[in-house]
Amino acid sequence: MKISRRTILRGAGVSLGLPWLEAMAATGDSTGKPPIRMAALYMPNGVNPWHWKPEGTGRDFQFSTTLKPLEDLKSQITVMTNLWNENSKGGDGHYVKEAAWLTCQTIKKTPGEDIANGVSVDQLAAQRIAGQTPLPSLELGVTPVAVGVDAVVGYTRVYGSHIAWSSPTTPLARELNPRSVYERLFRASSGPQGNEAKMDALLLDRVLGDAKKLRGQVGTADRVRLDEYLSVMRSLEERVQRASNSQQRTWKPRAAMDPKAIPTERPADHAEHVRLMLDMIATAFQTDTTRIATMMFGNAVSNVSFRFLEGVSAGHHDVSHHQKNEDKLRQYERISRWHVEQYAYLLRRLQSMKEGESTVLDNSMILFGSALSDGDRHSPRNLPLVLGGNAGGRINAGQHLVYAEDSPMSNLYVSMLDAFGTPVERFADSNGPLKGLLRA
Amino acid sequence: MRFLASVALTAVCAWGAPDFAGSQKFLETYCKNCHSGKSAVGGFRLEKVATQQSFETAAHDWNRLALRVRNGEMPPKGLPAPDLNAREEFAKYVDTTLRSTACASGIVPGPAPIRRLNRDEYTATVQDLLDIHLDIGHALPIDGAGGEGFDNAAETLFLSPLHSEKYMETAKLAMDFAAKEYKSRERILVAKPGPGVTPDQAARKILQAFLPRAFRRPVTEADLLPYLELFRAARKSGEDFEPAIFFALRGALVSPLFLFRTEPVDQVDNYALASRLSYFIWGSQPDELLTDLAASGKLQDPEVLRQMARRMLKHDRSWNLARRFTEQWLHTRELSGDKAPDAKLFPEYSKDEELRGDIRIQPQQFFREILVRNLSLLNLIDSDGTVATSNFSKHFGFKLAVRANASKQPQWVELPKDSNRGGLLGMPAVLAVSSYPYRTSPVLRGTWILDSLLGTPPPPPPANVPPLEEPAAGAAPTTVRERLEKHRANAVCASCHSRIDPLGFALENYDVIGRWRTEENGKPVDNSGEMTDGTKIQGPAALKAALMQHKDLFLRNLTNKLLGYALGRGLTLRDSCTVDAIVAEVKAKDYSAQALIESIVLSVPFRQKERPKEKKSS
Repeated sequence: MKISRRTILRGAGVSLGLPWLEAMAATGDSTGKPPIRMAALYMPNGVNPWHWKPEGTGRDFQFSTTLKPLEDLKSQITVMTNLWNENSKGGDGHYVKEAAWLTCQTIKKTPGEDIANGVSVDQLAAQRIAGQTPLPSLELGVTPVAVGVDAVVGYTRVYGSHIAWSSPTTPLARELNPRSVYERLFRASSGPQGNEAKMDALLLDRVLGDAKKLRGQVGTADRVRLDEYLSVMRSLEERVQRASNSQQRTWKPRAAMDPKAIPTERPADHAEHVRLMLDMIATAFQTDTTRIATMMFGNAVSNVSFRFLEGVSAGHHDVSHHQKNEDKLRQYERISRWHVEQYAYLLRRLQSMKEGESTVLDNSMILFGSALSDGDRHSPRNLPLVLGGNAGGRINAGQHLVYAEDSPMSNLYVSMLDAFGTPVERFADSNGPLKGLLRA
Repeated sequence: MRFLASVALTAVCAWGAPDFAGSQKFLETYCKNCHSGKSAVGGFRLEKVATQQSFETAAHDWNRLALRVRNGEMPPKGLPAPDLNAREEFAKYVDTTLRSTACASGIVPGPAPIRRLNRDEYTATVQDLLDIHLDIGHALPIDGAGGEGFDNAAETLFLSPLHSEKYMETAKLAMDFAAKEYKSRERILVAKPGPGVTPDQAARKILQAFLPRAFRRPVTEADLLPYLELFRAARKSGEDFEPAIFFALRGALVSPLFLFRTEPVDQVDNYALASRLSYFIWGSQPDELLTDLAASGKLQDPEVLRQMARRMLKHDRSWNLARRFTEQWLHTRELSGDKAPDAKLFPEYSKDEELRGDIRIQPQQFFREILVRNLSLLNLIDSDGTVATSNFSKHFGFKLAVRANASKQPQWVELPKDSNRGGLLGMPAVLAVSSYPYRTSPVLRGTWILDSLLGTPPPPPPANVPPLEEPAAGAAPTTVRERLEKHRANAVCASCHSRIDPLGFALENYDVIGRWRTEENGKPVDNSGEMTDGTKIQGPAALKAALMQHKDLFLRNLTNKLLGYALGRGLTLRDSCTVDAIVAEVKAKDYSAQALIESIVLSVPFRQKERPKEKKSS
């Protein structure tokens, strides 16, 4: 049987989240500056390389056909050329590239029993600012996890469906239903408090006790799983604890959620689905419910049909294997450009959200790109990458930055982590910050 | 694991049986330059695999190197390399030797990693536990898959922060729902406070009944106490008896003892066995009878186990096995994703929800009928009957003998002679999932057969596939067949495509959604292909006859899949002895479907476990 959405909101809906509605201290940063947000939007299957690269360098550059939808956002974006992900060069054509997009590590080839990657840049940032927002991060997608093992190449498809990794062995599950995301954000920013939250915390404390007991009874391999359980339940308990105690409630939403903006549960098509998910990122960032998000336009090897675009007759992956066929290259470019249009849509949404003198986009870093360049060649060289926003003025946006061939993409992550306020010495194979990206 | 059995349906090898000396010669010729001595590339030295004994001591290395050789990853580009036949001959020798070596010391149980309930199992378990009928797990994240390709594989059942939130929410939703349902209340509230019964005593009684069912094994006083405390805390904060007890029970649904299938570290005890059996066949918790048999110890009796398996197959709940196993084994789950036939090109499919449902259910119910009726598993390759509804009559283009009073119910029907609808390969779901959404592909269908039916996926295409020669501007459009023939004119491509393509061509009479066609774009359909050994295969009947020649390869693959599903983990080299034994038993029983289930349930890895080796970590 089905139950109404109302029941869900009345019942389970209110059990979790965290209230913090009343104004307490000023938000996060004691300087009063708006917080910095970070998102990464992953596009599968690479791009048509003949239509991607802008003409000219520095501030004086012309938009390519594919990047054209970003033209009016020129002062807000940074296009990067010649970055590559060396650790993803071997293995197969897709899984190795996609899973390593935000980790810059070489994944282990396995049907599943010993999955291994690195921690992704978004999760590293999330772990460093844990507790500052109701939700640690948001992982979104529009297509379900690809199931099974790709027997032809010998990798579990789990790799191809995740870009956010909280540990080398833990890919993070994604939310696919826009309405669920909305409800999750809503609960997180205005859920129960006081006694109800206190009871939830108590409940979590008891089950954590079960887990600790159980952990003592199993072998080392199983302990890893139970540690995963302990870790996610403990962090939930901490969040609920904070909600139950007004002394600890330092967070408050930076904007109210619009109760009328509840998205549909069943988007009509791929395009609407993508838009709604991007709306959820905008809402999450505007309200400050989280400062970290990742979104996958599709899984690795995605063959979503783009026949809804005029002149496109096949699925994404099929078209990406253009074999230099003129018509397929044209379709491929159209699909890549459609993704850029969606990215531009998110940037404009964020730009329309005022934050004092600035906008949410000004205070964000929104990475867009793919883990392959030309989909027909499966090469992780010269990756298509654009960064939107200027991280509160830290990023010297409005440029086309061209690097020496084969410069590590991980340098970009070093700089992004710096701009986010969580600097690191190194990230994977980085050899420094990304020159020219940040203002001195 | 991936067995390295060579691609089936190839010419009989013309060279003699390889041996250990031959394998060493192979390695010396193609690998030694880089892989020896102190500066061996990638840290891999041939010295590790230089003795017969190394098949035991360095099995992992052998397995890896054979896979890389077979897939053409080694030797690297630019260095002298063996041709495909030589690669496979070598890989086959390594595989056979690894298996016989691994089995020399007898059958072993293999690992049994702890495993959380996946989304489907969670839903079914909560439903059974609370006696509610609500798709309670729909909000949980979808699980990925590993092992033999199933979403119940322990190794890919991760936990994310999203899970923790959803488990809390769903537990509350489920308990709120159960608190209002008469049947659930009867089931759960086995005591209530009243004269002579304090609330605390009633709560204890309820927990004593509920927790062993939730945790699928008896509980001790120490296990129970935290939940009694939850009850007391709720009471203390002013809750009435019922909300307080439901609050405590909610905790149980979030406990790892519920969410994980827990077993003693070194043995499959009675309760663990009951759970293994019920999650295998029913995808849910053990029922009362199973629990009683576990409690009395009788379940360990092979005859009892066998009878239980038979009884459980007949129960409606075995739908769970049929649905989840076939959908993932045959990949038909993807029909609702990337593989969905294009809505504009095939409105007959996309607009007809009923037909779509029937098409999806067909392979599942077909598999279940084979199990329940204990038919031969070879029916999966070809059969005189199938599962259908009246909707298929139009789709197939001939009248099916469905029962007049229940024509919309999927049911077993006998097929007319030469119907071309017997076995899995006559089913629209299979034909669609092995096509592109907008056209059929002999390559995809051929690969599907090699991978899903025979368990011998072709090696991946080389890194830089030479592009197909494109037709000059203005030239007449070429057919897929013409293009593929050009492809095969290239020796590198031909080595695999000459095996893949003919299998797919034999199915060209079926369009994307599995309708029969004799013409395509005004041209007659050419359903013929020639195998590398010169055998001609024309049309589905000839293809199925050819597959029957490899029925043991098929059975072995099905056994691998079903055993992997039953154990909820990937198979290891040492499991291949178990697989060998099961295959032999099933063959001896004329490929009986129930024999396969029973052999799996009675197998060593299903009934035993070994103490995990302690690693130095965390």
